[in-house]
Amino acid sequence: MSSIDAGTHAADAHAGEGHHGGGFISTYVFSRDHKIIGIQFLFSTLVWFLVGGLLALGVRWQVAWPWSEMPVVGKMLFSAEGGQISPEFYTMLFTMHATIMIFFVIIPILAGAFGNYLIPLMIGADDMAFPTLNMLSYWFMWPAFAVIGTSFFVEGGGAQAGWTSYPPLSVVQEAAPGSHLPQTLWLIGITFVGVSSMMGSINYMTTIIQMRAPGMTMFRLPMTIWAMFITAILQAFALPVLTAAGFIQLTDRMIGTGFLLPEYLVVNNSDPASGGGQPLLWQHLFWFYSHPAVYIMILPAMGMVSDMISCFARKPLFGYKPMVYSIAGIAGLGFIVWGHHMFVSGMNPALGMTFMVSTMLIALPSAIKVFNWLGTIWGGNLQFTTPMLFALSFVSMFIIGGLSGIFMAATPVDIFIHDTYFIVAHFHYVLFSGTAMAVFGAIYFWFPKMFGRMMNDSWGKVHFFLTFVLLNCVFFPMHILGAVGFPRRLADPYHYATFRELGPLNEFITYCALALVACQAIFVVNFFVSIFFGPKAGRNPWHANGLEWAAPSPPGHGNFDFQPLIYRGPYEYGDPSVDADYYPQTQPPPPGHPETRPEAAPVTY
Amino acid sequence: MNKVWSLLFLAVPVFGVATFVAAPYFNHWLPRDVSEHGRMIDHLFMFILWLTGFVFVGTEVAIFWFMWRYNDRVNREPARFMHGSHSLELVWTILPAAILLFIAIYQMDAWAGSKMRRPDIAPTAEVTGRQFEWRLRYPGPDGVLDTADDIHHVNDLHLPVGEEVLLVVKSEDVLHSFFLPNLRIKQDVVPGMKQYVWFKANETGQFDIVCAELCGWGHYKMKGQVTLESREEFDAWLAQQYEQEQATLEQTTTDEG
Amino acid sequence: MSHDEHSAHPGFDYQPALPIPNGKVCVWLFLSTEIMFFAALIGTYIVLRFGALVWPHPSQVHLSEPIGAMNTFILICSSVTVVLALEMSKKNNAAAAKGWILLTLILGSLFVGVKGYEYNAKFSHRIYPAAGPGPIYEKADIYYAAAVRTRLNELQTALQAQAEPSEQQQHRIEVVQSILTNYVEPAEQAAGENGNAVEAEQELEELANAVMPLHHAAHDTQGAEAEVHHAGLNDEHSWLKLPIRIPGGNMWASTYFLLTGFHAIHVIVGLIVFAILLFMRLDATKAGVVENVGLYWHFVDLVWIFLFPLLYLF
Ligand code: HEA
Ligand code: HEA
Ligand code: CUA
Ligand SMILES: [Cu+2]
Repeated sequence: MSSIDAGTHAADAHAGEGHHGGGFISTYVFSRDHKIIGIQFLFSTLVWFLVGGLLALGVRWQVAWPWSEMPVVGKMLFSAEGGQISPEFYTMLFTMHATIMIFFVIIPILAGAFGNYLIPLMIGADDMAFPTLNMLSYWFMWPAFAVIGTSFFVEGGGAQAGWTSYPPLSVVQEAAPGSHLPQTLWLIGITFVGVSSMMGSINYMTTIIQMRAPGMTMFRLPMTIWAMFITAILQAFALPVLTAAGFIQLTDRMIGTGFLLPEYLVVNNSDPASGGGQPLLWQHLFWFYSHPAVYIMILPAMGMVSDMISCFARKPLFGYKPMVYSIAGIAGLGFIVWGHHMFVSGMNPALGMTFMVSTMLIALPSAIKVFNWLGTIWGGNLQFTTPMLFALSFVSMFIIGGLSGIFMAATPVDIFIHDTYFIVAHFHYVLFSGTAMAVFGAIYFWFPKMFGRMMNDSWGKVHFFLTFVLLNCVFFPMHILGAVGFPRRLADPYHYATFRELGPLNEFITYCALALVACQAIFVVNFFVSIFFGPKAGRNPWHANGLEWAAPSPPGHGNFDFQPLIYRGPYEYGDPSVDADYYPQTQPPPPGHPETRPEAAPVTY
Repeated sequence: MNKVWSLLFLAVPVFGVATFVAAPYFNHWLPRDVSEHGRMIDHLFMFILWLTGFVFVGTEVAIFWFMWRYNDRVNREPARFMHGSHSLELVWTILPAAILLFIAIYQMDAWAGSKMRRPDIAPTAEVTGRQFEWRLRYPGPDGVLDTADDIHHVNDLHLPVGEEVLLVVKSEDVLHSFFLPNLRIKQDVVPGMKQYVWFKANETGQFDIVCAELCGWGHYKMKGQVTLESREEFDAWLAQQYEQEQATLEQTTTDEG
Repeated sequence: MSHDEHSAHPGFDYQPALPIPNGKVCVWLFLSTEIMFFAALIGTYIVLRFGALVWPHPSQVHLSEPIGAMNTFILICSSVTVVLALEMSKKNNAAAAKGWILLTLILGSLFVGVKGYEYNAKFSHRIYPAAGPGPIYEKADIYYAAAVRTRLNELQTALQAQAEPSEQQQHRIEVVQSILTNYVEPAEQAAGENGNAVEAEQELEELANAVMPLHHAAHDTQGAEAEVHHAGLNDEHSWLKLPIRIPGGNMWASTYFLLTGFHAIHVIVGLIVFAILLFMRLDATKAGVVENVGLYWHFVDLVWIFLFPLLYLF
């Protein structure tokens, strides 16, 4: 690495101390500063990540050794059953595992933590457009935390209808123990998360549209911002549908409207249903949100990975505009493929065929992205820092997760693999091996900006190595399980003689999952130790171009100690016309240089 | 160290391919297919496996190679200062597009055969899912379902081989999914709806009926069995079931009377 | 929505893409999310309605088109008044602006009032969105007859429990008795073991019609005199509270209350905001606020303009 520091602003003098007056509570708790809110989101979601991971271990324990006593926690939780997991508890485990991972971890860590932290810094704003709204969007997570948290402890013990909550199971209270109060709490919790995300996404869109620094044109935005912007649009248009669906399910459950249940339906001696409703209606509404939501859960990761890869390849991002268009393409197509979750649901098969075609098409923009990442590292000067390794692993793993999507998009094949572990393999490859790995990378990458100190790179690499190896040991064999036809959501798969021979493979997976969770301790320790004792970072430790690296680390209140003016895009690494191998967005061009001045005149209100 | 990282990424395609190659030898593979149309589904699976396999190996090896060749220890030249390439973008847009469209069109016939072209025959049986069992109903001697002489049975489905079979599948309470792994059949059953599955089995034997849609705490034990047998055996079995059912019916009516 | 400006620290220069204030961008974005929300609800309605075997005619569920039309008109007027308020506010005429806002508030309240009246008309005919108070029966079948008998028996036992029934109670006992003998028993008999199917259907139909007659669309066109149907038993004796029969009635009630309910909530939120505006000086500096509130109100109006034909006319 060359040792030139960020051109014009070398002094870090008043970095970090810039928080203006006000007590601890208003500065760190009810803060309206986007950076504090971002960090609040980060901590909350990491804690839930741990909870979700532990629930996953419960799932794995049962799949490998059904009905055997869980060590340590077994006695505490189910002394009555001799430490065994009951089938309804198992159902609850994976339902809540997925709910927490998706609604409390991946979505809020991407949009809430990184979106909040990075958007104003990367576009040159002093804060979000609506700081109070931003604060509210964090505090609306808490009722959700509280409600979902309580749902574990009320009678019935956690929702048990899968994270997809298909009626009638989720609607008829008698259908499952978890369909009493816990399902109601689940719905309320999801609604709160929805309101929070809604507030956030409106704020992000307004900020990105209106508060870019002079010269920061749309096509000079970093990919992270493009991804956050388009994700916010996805949220804004998809989430209201889930909210509406949630209300529909709530009224069906609470007052007995008839939207989702067919006439006179009786489940487990319940009162006959009144309506003439359609169970498939929920699936359509749910997936109309939740398919776009899977892209909500990957696009920001793709954006951040693009930034990291370009920075550590010391080379401009390959095909910036195609990258932008492909994100937009994924988002647009994402609204017309929801039916691929319903190929065998009883939906009209002709409709299934059209959804199949649109699903095939959506692989196309993803292909463009993958090839452009490959183009970026081709001919670069790759630096294998921890964030770079995580970013590269994202690309490598996303390919696996995406390609398994092609199997399922092929309708006849989906007949066989639908609701088997093939699907489980698919979405853990995109969600954990993809997004979560990108998130780890992003934490290592922006940690110096957030806390002013570096994380330990060697331990980071150990963490990367173990996580990378173990996650593949956990999730890759699931493809094979799926090929055998091993169904998901089974409390005791070995009830079927055919699946008994899969026992050893399942045990292997569980051992690896245990190790996978355990090795995260390295990350946790590194994280906390570095906050307090890491080496000081300086403004631009990675010699990156992005505007955020021109601000102090950590940035004070108002973010910048100068008026940001932008002269070029964020990926001008290795420009032969400058001495350093990077060319910050804020660095003025040499006098007389023609093309790179701020394009638009500053406008103020 | 840089070499180690590159090799680690090379391990992905190596072990990935090895896993798929080894799995069939451990008998961890698609279950035995005993149906006519299953061949097409398996063929599509294998076709996509080969195709994505090539893409997988190609892209993963590319990652490895670029890591190996262009890391800052090895690559002494300055990074290529380039922002993209129009012709490359075109290539890697059009090529995958063509492949994907091909897959899309190639599979349509199999899908239509499995889900759209329902044969014009009378249903052999009606299968109704409920928490947590499969209720079965065969038409009695009159050959029509929904009449007084229907034959009832639970979890133990018998079907003739070597001929097209049509089943009505329904649900009485929540969602279930009627999954016959060995016949490559899966259909969610939805209360309030009536669905059909059809197939032609070509081997005799006993196979699992699996419930593949979460339906409550007992989802895991909602297991049934399908016995595929020759037409004669099937007819004999059905006749015997009919006798038995009539006998028990008489029993109960005399008991009541 | 929140209108906080960030003022604590020196604002930087920006390069906004749209020549409008952030607050307005926010309102527009918020409204686009609202569009999706109502799109989901209306989509639900359309799917269920066209998936339903029967759908009641508005008159069968005591839905009055003229009242709905009047309410539409009221809401459109309120959209006009809010525009006038904005005009006045822009001209810095705070008093006049406040006057128009007040008028908007009144019109909006009127709308809610009429909605309340409409809801009440449903409730008094025992049409609820919920199964709780007893479902609406889809068909006049033996289950329906059984439900009517159950209710009557209930009444009978309660009334006869009195040692010395008052004159009114005496009268009620007679009414119950007469319904049992005139309608329920014949229906039960016809539907019983020895009855024939056609007759049973007739008798059951008669029973259901006596409780609450179905006003068929066909009747209405035959002439105005058909409009003066006899009122049903439930109308004559409000204490009877017999189960009613409306084909498709449950689904209708569910969707009607869902759509109009969420719309009404939006109207009420608007009214609260108008009430808050009344405490502000609506001079030119507040024109932006009035405009944003107005945008929201136009949206609420627009939703109703979709709902009215969907629910009342088709
Ligand atoms: C981040 C999350 C995420 C992402 C990005 C994706 C991406 C994709 N998903 Fe996935 N999906 C989920 C999360 C995600 N999915 C989840 C959570 C579920 C299960 C929900 C549940 O039931 O609980 C699911 C389920 C799911 C199903 C339903 C399966 C079933 O239940 O039966 C289907 C079916 O079509 C599908 C398809 C796809 C496709 C085609 C893509 C594509 O976007 C992938 C495109 C990418 C590539 C193809 C790879 C890169 C491309 C190349 C290297 C180029 C060359 C390629 C070719 C020419 C083929 N997904
Ligand atoms: C983002 C989403 C996400 C993530 C990350 C994971 C992570 C994991 N999941 Fe899960 N999973 C889902 C989403 C996710 N899953 C979904 C949607 C379902 C479907 C549910 C349904 O059917 O309804 C599912 C279902 C599911 C099943 C299938 C259950 C069944 O169908 O019967 C299994 C089984 O093995 C499983 C296992 C695992 C494992 C072992 C992990 C491991 O990777 C977990 C590892 C955990 C960690 C690594 C946590 C480490 C913690 C930290 C790093 C935090 C640090 C803390 C501080 C700083 C305080 N998951
Ligand atoms: Cu029935 Cu699962
Ligand atoms: Cu999807």
